[in-house]
Amino acid sequence: MPPPQDPLYAGLGQAVRIGTELLAALIVGGGLGWVVDTYLFGTTPWGLVIGLVFGLAAGMRNAYRSAQRWQVPSDNVDKQE
Amino acid sequence: MEESPLHQFELHSWIPISVGGLDVSINKAVVFMWIVVALASVIMVMAGSSRKLVPGKLQSLAEMMVDFIRNMIMDTMGKDGMRFFPLIATLFVFILFSNYIGLIPGTYTVTSQIIVTAVFSCLVYGLSLVVGFWLHGAKFLGILVPPGTPGWLLPLMIPIEIISQLARPISLAVRLFANMTAGHVMLAVLFSLTIGGGLLIGWLPFVFTVAIYGLEFGIAFIQAYIFTILTCVYLGDAFHLHGHEEHAH
Repeated sequence: MPPPQDPLYAGLGQAVRIGTELLAALIVGGGLGWVVDTYLFGTTPWGLVIGLVFGLAAGMRNAYRSAQRWQVPSDNVDKQE
Repeated sequence: MEESPLHQFELHSWIPISVGGLDVSINKAVVFMWIVVALASVIMVMAGSSRKLVPGKLQSLAEMMVDFIRNMIMDTMGKDGMRFFPLIATLFVFILFSNYIGLIPGTYTVTSQIIVTAVFSCLVYGLSLVVGFWLHGAKFLGILVPPGTPGWLLPLMIPIEIISQLARPISLAVRLFANMTAGHVMLAVLFSLTIGGGLLIGWLPFVFTVAIYGLEFGIAFIQAYIFTILTCVYLGDAFHLHGHEEHAH
């Protein structure tokens, strides 16, 4: 078992988190858009397009948020509300 | 003919059982899940039974692990989070043990089945929703509105926040599953290159196999750690709704 408090592992842990964060939100956004298109309104392809755009935004937001959480312990000073 | 690198993940039922049309056959994954549970319980119970003041090897390992999980909860959720210690410790120990047992050649990595990780992540996310609505009632829906959002941005922010919430269980499940699967596929490909390459060139992929195997030891731990810390973060979000001001982290 590697030492838990090792900064290398903490950093590596952060790094592998952000990639899936982006991907998962994109999948959810695209998926919701596709469902709206295919089963609800038949508005192909607009639901998918808008869903992907929102998914991308949500992914960015999640990635940003997890990066922010990482930074806070080092500098509590300029913490934004 | 070489076998596919994905062959290792295939499951064949060993003892076919069917309950009301539902296939609950015993297969390799099920057996290894039992092994993980048995091994983890035996080791942790043995480690906990001695309770010496000066701990032995096993006891200090268990103490280190408990301390590690405790710190993780305190950092993300604060004191209230200790109520979830049993759940979080169980998740961590199970994932850690199944990742490490899977690294022994000839065994099976339970966490390389997406259904296993998906059940865990849905359980965690469902629990965070229950906790959130239990504690805050309808106000918990405010999690969809980040503090300080101007009113005219709401139609844009709410869909984005809904998607980013729904993405949580998916990213949790996919991350663990994908990392475990990718690691084992990589090892299988490299090792089949070693076998196929012969002595002249086969040593090169063999060196990589050994190196990647070492890396996988780190990954096995990191993935268990990430899954657990995100569990803490999600539960903590449900606990302290926009509560960044009350705990300094």
